[in-house]
Amino acid sequence: MTPLGSIAGAVLSATPWRLDRRLEVDTRRAALSRISGAVSAMVVVGILLLLTGRNAFWILWQALDSILGSQRGIEGVALRAIPILMTALGVALSLRMKVWNIGSDGQFLMGGLAAVGVGIHMNGPGWLVLIVMAVAGTLAGAAWILVPALARAYLDVNEIITTLLLNFVAFQLVVWASLGFWRDRESAVIRSTERVPVILEKIPGAESVTIALFVPVIIAAALWWVFRSTTIGYEVDTIGGNPRAAGFAGIAVRRRIMVVMLFTGAIAGLGGMLQLSAPGAQAMNAGFSAQFGLSGFIVAALAGASFWGVMGGGVCIAAMFYAGVLLQTKGLSVYIIFASYGVILTGIALGEIAARYRLARRDTEETGTGSDAVAADHASEGAGS
Amino acid sequence: MTGDSPQPSVEARAISKAFGGVAALDAVDFEVRWSEVHALVGENGAGKTTLCNILAGIYRADAGQVIVDGVERDFRAPAHAIDAGIGMVHQHFRLVEPMTVAENIHLGWPETPGVVSQRTLIDRTERFMSEMGMHVDPTAKIWQLSVGEQQRVEILRVLARGARVLILDEPTAVLTAKEAEELFAVVRELAASGLSVIFITHKLREVLAVSDRLTVLRQGIREITRPTEGATAGEIARLMTGEERLLSVEHRVVTGESTLELRGVSALNDRGITALHNVDLTVRAGEILGIAGVSGNGQTELAEVICSLRDLQSGSIAVDGADVASMSVRAVTDLGVGHIPEDRIGMGMVLSAPLKNNAVLHNYWTEAFSQGLTLDRQEVIDFAKRLVEAARVQTRSVFATAGQLSGGNQQRLVARREALAADRLLVAAHPTRGLDVNAAQEVRATVLDKRDGGCAVLLISDDLDEVLLMSDRIAVMYEGRIMGVFDAADADREYLGLLMGGHTPAEASR
Repeated sequence: MTPLGSIAGAVLSATPWRLDRRLEVDTRRAALSRISGAVSAMVVVGILLLLTGRNAFWILWQALDSILGSQRGIEGVALRAIPILMTALGVALSLRMKVWNIGSDGQFLMGGLAAVGVGIHMNGPGWLVLIVMAVAGTLAGAAWILVPALARAYLDVNEIITTLLLNFVAFQLVVWASLGFWRDRESAVIRSTERVPVILEKIPGAESVTIALFVPVIIAAALWWVFRSTTIGYEVDTIGGNPRAAGFAGIAVRRRIMVVMLFTGAIAGLGGMLQLSAPGAQAMNAGFSAQFGLSGFIVAALAGASFWGVMGGGVCIAAMFYAGVLLQTKGLSVYIIFASYGVILTGIALGEIAARYRLARRDTEETGTGSDAVAADHASEGAGS
Repeated sequence: MTGDSPQPSVEARAISKAFGGVAALDAVDFEVRWSEVHALVGENGAGKTTLCNILAGIYRADAGQVIVDGVERDFRAPAHAIDAGIGMVHQHFRLVEPMTVAENIHLGWPETPGVVSQRTLIDRTERFMSEMGMHVDPTAKIWQLSVGEQQRVEILRVLARGARVLILDEPTAVLTAKEAEELFAVVRELAASGLSVIFITHKLREVLAVSDRLTVLRQGIREITRPTEGATAGEIARLMTGEERLLSVEHRVVTGESTLELRGVSALNDRGITALHNVDLTVRAGEILGIAGVSGNGQTELAEVICSLRDLQSGSIAVDGADVASMSVRAVTDLGVGHIPEDRIGMGMVLSAPLKNNAVLHNYWTEAFSQGLTLDRQEVIDFAKRLVEAARVQTRSVFATAGQLSGGNQQRLVARREALAADRLLVAAHPTRGLDVNAAQEVRATVLDKRDGGCAVLLISDDLDEVLLMSDRIAVMYEGRIMGVFDAADADREYLGLLMGGHTPAEASR
């Protein structure tokens, strides 16, 4: 089951329908169902806009123009894409092992917070400060998932709850830092930490995009290679597919779960540092993460834990958010924009599910006690005694 | 029907049922009378549970009739069977653990009043229990009860719904000897009060101790129905396991160095109960030692301790003199130990992963594929292709997932993979279970090839025919103990059957 498939399967469990995984995924059919998912979502959004008396085509044109029409638009998308890609890559890595890290927002925040701490207190050459900030951010992200990772690996405690709840703790720590111990007391901006004096190098020719843009690309390439050509990737995929088989093969399952979870947190934490060292950011406040963890999770789930899929999906979702912000300035209300996000993501998700699964009616003979009994019967015939 | 034979309570006529094309029951006739305990006997997979599931409305028969108290019935759900007075107590209890005994008995019972106090529930439960002559504290929570008490609650629950025919599926499997004795007394009393009790078991002692009549099923076919009086354990064992077939494997007597050596091995099962008691075994290079026994008697744990997948409580295990108990799973594999696991889907493969990944599950870290961290993708693909070809796995591509293979192809792949990994020792647990004849023959040929190549083979199977066919020596396991070890030439089917049913060698040779 892909992550999306498990969610959809759970939703359907209360209905007389179930999802059957397609044994053979025909590439062209799959592409068609993905495209038709996205397109039909756009059509629904268009109809909604038309019903509210707006010109849907003009809005679509404005959205595309705002993204692709200028360097500013492209850079705006890139800036939004970096944090989303970082959290999404972390989550995608965890999903390869069927671990659901819902806490990438918290790890992202802690990465940023650690980087702020280093940046405002450390004296030295700018490049050195930035390197220490990156190390601190990475370690902080990993540290923030340490307890959930230990609990999951050695006590079988469900990581969804633990990682999710730590998001709120991280958020409150950031609020505390920006109102309390690292508060900026000199400038007029009152609800923020002090500013870090250094920023990352800009890409030549760019107005605001820094070399941070390369980091998710490098990580995606590295992860792709690890899962294609190393024993570690093989082991993680095996654990994700069947932990008992992994134990049978002599893989140290618990230790691998530990290490992979720490890496997912580390990637999100590094994302927080990258976000902090962009020009204009440089400080933390309650609005530091615009739900980047959630967006990253959506991207990873939609991409089915494929790293290049994450890259493509992350850029698309960043473009959608960027267009949404610009459309607000053109008079579209924020509610309509949020509703459109929802419809479009749902459409894409349905297209993705349709590409991998087909809907089947539950066999009448196998429902209720019947299917339980089949399982019990196999168990009893198997166990025998 | 003759005049003097009593009216049957339940009658199954020519019942057939197939699962996925495999016949579980083939035109089985079965008849139970009022006031009798009827033992339904057979090996694993003989169709006992399937037959009772049909009587209890859980399955529908593909063909045949079910007649209850003279009326033909067509059960489409368990509720219909309960309405007709048939209740089944499953091996795995269906009780709500955090609730009390009284609450469990009243759950989903149409006669439970709509609004009711705890006091009334308890009173009603106590009244009912004294009517039935069985007692469990009605205020106790289910999880506080022993397994035997839980079972009594299950029986009471079924009786409370008006069951006149009680089906007990392997009821003693979870009980201690003392609890089993208590259950026998309860069962006898229920029959004395006029009920029918169908008692599913494969333990011969129980058949003789508790039943009035017995029916033996073997591979979905009824072998016999007869009064228990006058029946001998040997006769039942022979009917259960079938007549000897003509065999064509040459059995060897191998002497020399032992490859696998177990001394005083004890181990726990997953529930923390001792599953292996002080087991001594020796397997020599170039021989097959077959473990005969009904599954669930410690065979799974035996295979797992040898492969270091399960901890020892005491004793020692050596492969070529090396103590494997202290080794990692990987180190044991590196000694040249292959393991065809009993649960090929749950343990032996990753169904969601491509065949190429499954092909190297037990050797991906070796030098052939890996230099330190890297995994040579092309080498893995080539190996998988060779394996698929050698094992004659039918698939279009090594990139297809293992889940897309049929069960026979999955097992051929696992068997061949493990045979390749096994230089010194192959542990084969139920290697042909669930396979059709051809697939089973191919897997057997793979195992025999290993033996002829000088590998030691430990063959675990609950199919006595298979053990007799393949083994050079045979050990019988019962409740975690080795009941005896024999050369294949001296093995006597009936005698083995008695040992598998829990008779000691002294009792069996009497």
